[in-house]
Amino acid sequence: MKIIISHSSMIPIYEQIIDQIKTLIRNGSLKVNDPLPSVRALAKDLRVSALTVKKAYDNLEEDCFIKTVHGKGSYIRSIDKAILSEEAQKEAEKEMEKVILKCRMLGLKNEEIKDLFMIIWEEQC
Amino acid sequence: MLKVEGLKKNYPSFSLDLSLIVNKGEVLGIIGANGAGKTTLFKAILGLIKKDAGEITLFGKRSDELSLKERQDIAITLADSSFSRYLTIKDVGQILKEMYPSFDPVYFDDLLIKFDLSKDKKLATLSSGMQTRFKLICALCHHPKLLILDEPTIGLDVIGRNELLDLLRNHLCNYEDSTILISSHIASDIETLCDRICLIDKGKIILACDTDLVIDNYGIIKATEAQYQTIDKEYIIGVKKENYGYTLLTEQRSYYRENYPDVITDAAGVDDILTIMTKGGRI
Repeated sequence: MKIIISHSSMIPIYEQIIDQIKTLIRNGSLKVNDPLPSVRALAKDLRVSALTVKKAYDNLEEDCFIKTVHGKGSYIRSIDKAILSEEAQKEAEKEMEKVILKCRMLGLKNEEIKDLFMIIWEEQC
Repeated sequence: MLKVEGLKKNYPSFSLDLSLIVNKGEVLGIIGANGAGKTTLFKAILGLIKKDAGEITLFGKRSDELSLKERQDIAITLADSSFSRYLTIKDVGQILKEMYPSFDPVYFDDLLIKFDLSKDKKLATLSSGMQTRFKLICALCHHPKLLILDEPTIGLDVIGRNELLDLLRNHLCNYEDSTILISSHIASDIETLCDRICLIDKGKIILACDTDLVIDNYGIIKATEAQYQTIDKEYIIGVKKENYGYTLLTEQRSYYRENYPDVITDAAGVDDILTIMTKGGRI
């Protein structure tokens, strides 16, 4: 499992771990019943405290992405594709919100934002 | 695993007064300037000095009630203690083997090779960095359940320090229940290893917190005189006068980032926190 942590990022380290594990699940690198490294093992690899990793795992478990079997470790749960795409949609929403907010700060009108979106959209297609 | 309740030790010019708990499987870092009381605390825990008040328990027992077996599960390194300088590394290995039934000769040899220490060398001929490393090797080679490490990174360069932390991480990884109490006067030496940290100053705990909460939430605000007057002081916990105005310590940096975008707010390292809390004033 490949995770890269930025220590200068404003995003808390446990959130970086959560996000990256979710991405690995979404893109299929982590599959159902794949074991996750132990808390201490991942803490060692990332050179962060065990509590940080535990916090990330606890969050993932609460959100039903992983299950932890006491004494055995943590595994990827079978995840409903609908939940995954909902997650992805939420993430996209967040990014779009940011862009729109930035556009408004720059003084663009709604129509202009829409036009700009369509221009870039067509360029990408 | 280790509990210190209402520990008091009075010296003519210094008194220690604190309580703390280290849970099983946890790494607790004690951070304080020179003379803050770190070594006095460690010596009291180990029963090397007589305490004036308080209760200290290890594995649920008072330290003078521990069985030999329980004592063998504890490993200690102190800044000013070592084996005789006239012994060779091989001699020390022999002593450890006799003292600890769980001594692991293969692991001991592995670590010696890893750190390029020849068994025939006398301790007197080792550089201070090598002596520091060797102390930790001696502590780890019998797979202790509880490690009590007073300033184990002292005198090491950056590479040596990271090697030492990796060694501890390996130990933690192999023995999931193992517990560490570690101290340093430089937080950045050990903060990435610690689940929780306690800052101590003049014999008292001034801050005890999960390390990641500190790293994620605490911030240093640099404010001019004018900014200082207008800023909301609700989440400011320390202040230090500077040439340009004030350096402020906050436990909620995102609040100030969002509400005072013109004021510089940086993430705070544990060392910054220690400096402001010991040298600065409170609000």
